[in-house]
Amino acid sequence: MSTIALEALTKRYGTITAVNDLTFRLAPGRITGFLGPNGAGKSTTIRVLLGLARPTSGRATIGGRPYAELRDPLRQVGALLDPNVFHPGRSGRMALRIAARPARIPGQRVEEALDLTGLTSAAHRHVGGYSLGMRQRLALAAALLGDPQTLVLDEPASGLDPEGVAWLRGLLRGLADQGRTIFVSSHQLAELAQTADDVVIINQGRLIAAGPMAGLLERSQASSLEDLFLGATSPHTQAAHPGFTRPRSLS
Amino acid sequence: MRALIAAELLKLRSTRSAWIPLAAALAAAVIAVIAITTDAGHSGNPPLSPAALPDLLRSSGGQLVDGALLLAWIVLSAGEFRHRTSVTTFLGQPRRLRVVSAKLAAAALTGAAVGLLAEALSAATSAAVLSAHHVPLHWAQPGVPGAVITVPLLAALYGVLGASLGLLLRNTAAALGLALMWAFVVEGILSVLIHVPGVVRWLPQAAANAVLHGASATTLPAGVALAVLAGYAVVLATGGALVTTRREIGTATG
Repeated sequence: MSTIALEALTKRYGTITAVNDLTFRLAPGRITGFLGPNGAGKSTTIRVLLGLARPTSGRATIGGRPYAELRDPLRQVGALLDPNVFHPGRSGRMALRIAARPARIPGQRVEEALDLTGLTSAAHRHVGGYSLGMRQRLALAAALLGDPQTLVLDEPASGLDPEGVAWLRGLLRGLADQGRTIFVSSHQLAELAQTADDVVIINQGRLIAAGPMAGLLERSQASSLEDLFLGATSPHTQAAHPGFTRPRSLS
Repeated sequence: MRALIAAELLKLRSTRSAWIPLAAALAAAVIAVIAITTDAGHSGNPPLSPAALPDLLRSSGGQLVDGALLLAWIVLSAGEFRHRTSVTTFLGQPRRLRVVSAKLAAAALTGAAVGLLAEALSAATSAAVLSAHHVPLHWAQPGVPGAVITVPLLAALYGVLGASLGLLLRNTAAALGLALMWAFVVEGILSVLIHVPGVVRWLPQAAANAVLHGASATTLPAGVALAVLAGYAVVLATGGALVTTRREIGTATG
């Protein structure tokens, strides 16, 4: 089983500490929501986890190894960071073929990923002509190319219409039920409340709360994920909620 | 590594702004032969003779092809950061030096292939034109084998220079601007300012001319000039590799 683990992860940019001594471990077979206000350090954490930025100290591993040391990373980890990571002059199909080539993923799988994300009919069109939702689906197709055990998704529902959001919810649930580890960063709390099993909340780079969502809601006496989030990230209310302990593992 | 090189070649094939200059340079290789042979015997140019063949092969597949390779690989390598496709690239292969190596290898392969193709096209055109003028074709004469070897070699080096410059600067406009400024302004000004042929001949374009057109009293020997150009390519490639391995990917500038 592939798990994501952060151990005392710290990332500094000059005098700014973007991620501060972050430690948690995700459980396989569950969807974990990654929450935090803007500038909390979520995207930095994800970029360090995926080897796109180096940690100042600490470790971020997937299946026990840093991303850069994974063999055939696309077959182990699928990542969606941003829908705008494709050349606008290439077709959707070509963008996926290029992404698939380093891992020797066959063309058949490219077609499956296009089909899975509902892009087959638009696959011949230039990405520059895609809507945000279509680019998001293409980025998701790229993440699914290697049929990975772990998915790391940054705002995957952004730009999707309600039908697309419902489809994504079903897709992620189905993948988690197959035993895969799903790590989803999102600001869409209402949607995440329907999707996530566990949550990790950070603020100013520090871990504020982590654990199964139901347990955190109960301990913090919050009526919803939004209440939990606002309570957890507000400096005034944090102290009043004894539920906001810092569990080190979600497993 | 082969899969990574194949991915880079696929990027070239699917990037119009990269392959159009290459296609244009190949067309220009044919046009150059026709223009040179049409002018032969006019305006003080020597008439067509068997000795014209090496020059036809060198000039048609020379600087235009080199310039096109430089341009194409700047667009491809710096374009990765402009369009943020670098994120997808380095998620697919997080060992960054392997990606850099694949880009350089693909650039060199493309250069050699386009250089050879330009030579083949200019050879075919030269053969047709010279035969039409009843000029005998002496393929084994001195200069012909040299042209066939140096044009693809130079093109391969220019491909590597372009890919390296793009990786080093990570900005398409800046890399293209620097390359054009160097080619059309800086080296010319330096040649005037320095006024010392012994120094000027070590500059990149002077070295490329020495390789392409043969050594003269003011240029380096062709072999040394080729080594000098290879040295420039190694320096730029090392810089590009260092920047790529040290800087972050997926930020506003990367």
